[in-house]
Amino acid sequence: MSTKWIRAIVLIVAIGCTGWAHSKLPLARPGDLDVEFVPSPRVASAASFGFKAILADFHWLKAVQAVGGDETVDAELARTLGKLIDVVTTLNPHVGHPYRFAAVWLTHDEELVREAIRLLERAVEYHPDDWRNYFYLGFDHFFYLAEYAEAAEALEIAMDLPGSPAYLPRLVARLKSEHADIDVAEVFLRELLRRTEDEEARARLQIALDEIEIEYKARLLDRARELYRERTGHDIRSVDDLVRPPDRVLARLPSPEPDGIPPSLSRGSVWQIDPDDGRIESSYLGSRYEVHYSDGDRKRLKVGREVGRTGESNQEAESVDG
Amino acid sequence: MNSLLRIRTLAANTFREAIRNKLLYTLLGFGIVMIAAGVLLASLSYVEVDEILQDMGMAAIRFFSAGIAIFVGIGLIHNEVDRRTIFTILSKPVSRTEFLIGKWAGLTFTVWLQLVLMALAFAAVSGLAGAPLGAGHAVAIALIGFELMLLVAIATFFSAFTTPMLAALFSVGIWMIGHLSRDLRALGEQSELESVSRATNLVFQWMPDFEVFNKTLEAVHGLAIPSSEVWMAIVYAVGYTVCTLLIGSMIFGRRDFK
Repeated sequence: MSTKWIRAIVLIVAIGCTGWAHSKLPLARPGDLDVEFVPSPRVASAASFGFKAILADFHWLKAVQAVGGDETVDAELARTLGKLIDVVTTLNPHVGHPYRFAAVWLTHDEELVREAIRLLERAVEYHPDDWRNYFYLGFDHFFYLAEYAEAAEALEIAMDLPGSPAYLPRLVARLKSEHADIDVAEVFLRELLRRTEDEEARARLQIALDEIEIEYKARLLDRARELYRERTGHDIRSVDDLVRPPDRVLARLPSPEPDGIPPSLSRGSVWQIDPDDGRIESSYLGSRYEVHYSDGDRKRLKVGREVGRTGESNQEAESVDG
Repeated sequence: MNSLLRIRTLAANTFREAIRNKLLYTLLGFGIVMIAAGVLLASLSYVEVDEILQDMGMAAIRFFSAGIAIFVGIGLIHNEVDRRTIFTILSKPVSRTEFLIGKWAGLTFTVWLQLVLMALAFAAVSGLAGAPLGAGHAVAIALIGFELMLLVAIATFFSAFTTPMLAALFSVGIWMIGHLSRDLRALGEQSELESVSRATNLVFQWMPDFEVFNKTLEAVHGLAIPSSEVWMAIVYAVGYTVCTLLIGSMIFGRRDFK
């Protein structure tokens, strides 16, 4: 056999062996740098040797691949995502979407939401004209933490920025009514109405003011109902009981509709007792003036607040012990 | 024949020699491939696609240009000594300082030329992908040119008195420290030991700060690049290059080639 043939055979065997051995080797080994490995932002910055932008992109792509894979985003993965986005936004704080990506995924517990808020605060520092970052900041405060004052503060900035949704002023007003009082929400809306020239926007603000007017009336009825209970020892069966002799506590019921609307626009609304929560409401709105959560979200917030109180009381106990 | 003319002649010869170097084309080719590969990398993300594409392109330009500046620069003088051609050159009315500056100028022109080629590739890839291009990109690439000018001076400096291997090690080390010195100083400032803080500050002050030329983020995100920062970076590059070449020529002047 000639040398040429021997060489060819050796080459083919070598290629075959190499391919076979490679196919038998595992693709991932324990201890490989996987998505769980995230360097601290400071180390990543120092190790970038001036290539911060591309290193930030690398970590961003890791984050995208992590949520795009088969794995469910549980709290542990969300924590890793938070670390990845922290690295991304430390190396390149001028990125836009990764901040909001963090806001979307870091929602499993209060610690994660606080981390998302920290990242969003960095976002508004670098993108002060982008309403979306303020919006997510406000949303995280209000939806996950029920921190209405902080939420209203962030959304109030968002609503003045170009491109922000038209419903924001009404949401801000509701948030203000939750954390302060309805008077604050009314003053806020009246001020907005005073400086708004756009007719469509004015109409939306007027609707919000109408809602507040009806809420004022509903609260008057709440107080009357309380008085009725004190006097009679039992609750009303219908709202009309408040004006029905012999136990009436009001001379007449206020209009369940805004006073300013012309009769032609009247919907024939009535006062009614909500069968679910037993509160007095106008059929004109169908609910009370407040921030609306689903039943599940209300339960989640309640649990969160109780855990928070337990944590606070634990901290107080520790400080007293100390 | 005045000094400038002699330097120009040496620079032209260095340029001719450099463009015959296969390493130059290998690195240039890799650089252009990496710029184009940005399209693939960017496709992995659903947002910030243009930014990722251009980050990759700018990183490739900076990385491969630095590679060319260092690895072509380190052999400049050694090759002349190795081939004994330096004796022929220095036997003519050419000073060792002119020789060193001529070598530096020739290689600087070479790396600037390859920088233009990579910049054209970057512009073509960005244009085809629909990523925006603006004056910020031109400024950022021009500043890379000044970074390379300084890096060539450093490679020439080490090439003047050490072997290519050591010159490569030192030049790469200086380039890395030059990109690290700001972070080192920030870390040092947080140290409880005053000596650490002083040492890192010393490194920051005396080592070249290559981050002054890094305007990638600003260019890619369309942020304003203050003209004062650009001019100061140019002054810094020229000043540091002059210092490096002067010290290099002093060492080179005392070198015994026997």
